[in-house]
Formats: sequence, structure tokens, C-alpha cells
Amino acid sequence: MMRYLRLYRQFLSFSFSRSLEYRLDFWFRIVMDCMFYAVEIAFFMVIYRHTELLGDWTFDQTFVFVCGFLLVDAIHMTVFSNNMWWLPIYVNKGDLDYYLVRPVSSLFFLSLRDFAANSFLNLIIASGLLTWALLRYPEPIPASNLLWYLFLLLNGAILHYTMQMFFLIPVFWLHSNRGLTNAFFSTTKLGERPDKIYSKWTRRVLLFVFPLLLMVAIPARVLFEGPSLSMIGMTLGISGLFFLLMVGFWNFALKHYSSASS
Amino acid sequence: MIEVKDLRKIFQIHKKPPGLAASVKSLFRRDYVEKVAVAGATFSVGEGEIVGMIGANGAGKTTLVKMLAGIIHPTSGEARVLGYDPWEKHNDLRRQISLIMGQKAQLWWDLPGADCFELLREIYQIPRPTYEASLRHLTEMLQVESELTTQIRRLSLGERMKMELIAALLHSPRVVYLDEPTIGLDITTQKSVRDFLLSYRKDHAPAMILTSHYMEDIERLCERIIIIREGELVYDGSLQRVIHEYAPYKRLTVHLSRSTSATMEREILDRLGEVVEEQAGTIVMHVPRDQVTSAAAEILRKFDVQDLSIADPEISEIIELLMGGREKTTP
Repeated sequence: MMRYLRLYRQFLSFSFSRSLEYRLDFWFRIVMDCMFYAVEIAFFMVIYRHTELLGDWTFDQTFVFVCGFLLVDAIHMTVFSNNMWWLPIYVNKGDLDYYLVRPVSSLFFLSLRDFAANSFLNLIIASGLLTWALLRYPEPIPASNLLWYLFLLLNGAILHYTMQMFFLIPVFWLHSNRGLTNAFFSTTKLGERPDKIYSKWTRRVLLFVFPLLLMVAIPARVLFEGPSLSMIGMTLGISGLFFLLMVGFWNFALKHYSSASS
Repeated sequence: MIEVKDLRKIFQIHKKPPGLAASVKSLFRRDYVEKVAVAGATFSVGEGEIVGMIGANGAGKTTLVKMLAGIIHPTSGEARVLGYDPWEKHNDLRRQISLIMGQKAQLWWDLPGADCFELLREIYQIPRPTYEASLRHLTEMLQVESELTTQIRRLSLGERMKMELIAALLHSPRVVYLDEPTIGLDITTQKSVRDFLLSYRKDHAPAMILTSHYMEDIERLCERIIIIREGELVYDGSLQRVIHEYAPYKRLTVHLSRSTSATMEREILDRLGEVVEEQAGTIVMHVPRDQVTSAAAEILRKFDVQDLSIADPEISEIIELLMGGREKTTP
């Protein structure tokens, strides 16, 4: 474990050195992400001009939920997104070869080696927005609710990565998975909305089959309603199960890796 | 150190005829063909041995190397590398092997070599003093000490390959796979890479498998070669034996004096061997090994010869014949 932490420290150091080489891209990415945050918040502000409640949440609750989503997205963009973008290219060009001969987990290496240092400021901005949303929340928030919430948001970021991997791994067979990647991004929009707006069966699908609601909506419910064993158990249990399935899927895919001609 | 038994790899390849109609049809129904990349390879490589793997493009060399490195899973067969099954991906095995591909970079493009090596130190868990001594030794041997802090993308191709070699050997692997390590390099750099590899073998005695299209690499580095043709191993033995086994003839070069015309006596030459080249008073013949002395004597008797030389045929010539499926060539 300590070895992997030391490796990750090296990845961070490399990624910062590399990102700072491309100054224009560094600033451009920050501006683009800030625009994305503004649009997400504005979208819900417009909705609340016409309604008091969305599902069973007030504007203040939804605002916390949206900022929670922005934080999960920022973590994903900073920690995983560059790696996810490169993975199909590595598989198709045979560049996976070198990763498979190293004495470290290839999944760890390929998922975490490229830290998007130019999104790091966005992570700070998203954290600031969530802090602001929590501070302006009118009800008192117990510390245990807050700690569980933050822990489950972190779990949500890992679940987001896990789900995306399920859409990326088929590239080992398909060789072009642009369609699947687009499908993933379209589908994840469902997790960007409060859970109670969905019908019973849609909710069940989004909790157990394609558990997007576990990323942000259920953590927000834990924050507002208090930590319950069923909600936390369900969230961590399903996330863990999906992670293990993804690791199995990855190992299965590696057996079918054909590399590329030299 | 490397034991391979009846290793096979078959790829399923989608065959699509040209044209839009065929593309549309392939959306619904696809025809696949089986491509045998490696057809039952059996061989072993011992400690300190450099085995040259030779074959035309697409013969299956790289697939074989990638299977032994644990990258590609075989369709059938067995292999043990340092006692491990390479596809089980044991970290203990991966810490002791290395792969260098001349056509693929393993170093990070935007970073200097020193940073890349530091990451590799962490990956291979090389103790700091060992790492520093190894890095110093390798950089001195390859004469790239001053380039360690230069970004990889700013280095020349030759310098980059030297950095790749350092990256691959920092952890002192016991098994090294070299897939066309000198491709695209100038003659001087090719030579320095070869000298380096020989020196590395002397110091560390790893088992090495080398694939290359440059005969110079094979002749300088390998005492033993494996020739692979369309996935099949057609020769496994010493470089010298390939000459005796597959070319039972010698190359006789005769320089005639200006006044002599060999054309007049062509039937004599044809009786002695096969004339493979004839121009401006120079004749090159392939003559059976056991008849070469008598043939030379007869030529000296019957022609006005300025010079005559007898030599083994070029190894590259024999290998080319073998790769093309025309082995056991006789004059």
C-alpha cells in the first residue's frame, strides 16, 4: 500500500511538471470548467423559479446536491479523466505493452498515472462551492452527517470511474468505443438530478443496475436525513461489488489483448 | 531460464472486401479468418545466451516475444520464464524481465530521462545506492550522462534509444527481450548499442532474445539463431551451422585476365557449379563444398586467371533463402 502511495506521489510530481509546460492549456481548462459549473448551477436556479420543490428537495438542498456533483466531477476530471481518454488509444496502438510488463497493477498504473494538474484548481473551486453551499444551508448539519457525506462523495468519484471503465474495457474487442463513451456520458446525466424525481422502477435501475444515484444523490440524502445503515450499506456494498466486477472484467479483457503489430 | 513448448497463437481476423457495400454488409455479418501467428514453437534459452530471432515482417517474432513477456496470452502451449508462467503476471517475474521495443517508446515524452528513471526505481523497488550505481554505470557506458536532464522529446533518436536501454536495464533483469533495438539508428549508434549489449551480457549474463532485421546485429551479438517463417520455427541452432546445413556450397569468385572470355568455355563452368554472376571478366559461382578444390584447380588450368577466391556464402544470403522457404539450396 505504501509503495502505491509513493508511486502516486511520483505520478503527481510528473503530472504537475508536465502540465505547467503548456500554460495556455492550463488556464483555458480552468475557464472552461468554471463555465460548466456556472451552467449547472444556473440550470437548477431556473427550475426553482417555477417550483418550490424538485422531488422532495428545496432549492438549498438541491444547491448542496449540485455542488456535491461538481466536486465529484472535479475529482473525476482531475484524477481519472486523462487516463480514461488515453486508455482506448493505448489498447489500439499496442502501447499497453509496457504497462503489462511492470511489476505493479496495470489497472492502478493506467487509471492513475496521469493526474490532470490543470484541473487541480477546479477541484479547489468545486470544493469552495460545496463549502459555500453547506455554509448557507439553513438547517444545522451534524458532524457525523457531514463526515459520512464527504466519505460517500469520495466513494461516488470512485464509482463514477468504475462505471466509466465498464464502458471503456470493451475497446479490447471493439477497437473503437466512441459510441459507448458517448453513451456513458449521456447516461451519467441521470445521476446529476435528484433521485426522487424518478419513478420507482427507474430509481431501482439507477440504484442497483446502473448505480448512478449512489454517486451524489444518496450521499446528499445521508447528509440531509442522517446516516442510516441501509443507505450507507447499500452504497458501499454496491460500489464495492461493481469495483470487483470491473477488476474481473479488466483481467478478463487483458487475456484477450492482442497488442498491435510492430 | 526460458523454456517454451509447443507455443501457439492464432488471431481471428475480420476480412472485409473493399467498397461501401461490403462495409455496410459487415455491420450485420462478418467473415473471420484464422491467422496463425506462431505455430507450435519449442525452444529454450539459457543464462548468458543471446538468441537472435530472425524472420520476415509478420513471421511471428514479435508475437512470440510478447507472449514470453506475458503481454499476449497464447492459444495453446506452455512457457516457463525463470520458473514462472509469464501469463500469470507474477510481480516476482516481472521484476526480473525487461522488454525493449525499437518502435515503441516506454519513456515519458515530456519528462527528462532522470525523472523517468526515478519512477522506474520506485516501480522496481530498486534500493537507492544500487539504483545510483546502476544509473551511473549505464549512463557512462552509453555516454549520455549530460543528457539525463534533457526532456526525452528533445533528444535525437539514438540518444532516445540509449535512454530506453537504460530504462530497461536499470533493475538488472535476468531476462531481456529486445525487439528491433537498433531500428532507424545510424551506423555509429547501432555499433555503440551492440557494444553496449555485449558488455552488458558479459557483466550480468542475462538470457536475451533479440529480433532484428539487421544481419549485423545478429552476426555481432548472437551465436545462436532461431529462424521463424510464417509462424513456424524452421531453424534453431548456431549461426555457423546454418551455413553448413543450409548452404552446402562455397562461393568461388574468379577474376579473369582481359584477354580471356569465359563465355567461350561456359559449358566447363556449368559442369563445375552454378554461375550466379558474370560481368566484366568476373565470375561468381556456387560450387559443392566437396568439389571446390578440384573445381578451382580445373579453372586455374583452363583459364587465364588473375585472381581466385573461395569463401562461405553470406549468412544473410542463406537466411534470406530460409525465410523465403527455399532451404537446402544446392548448386
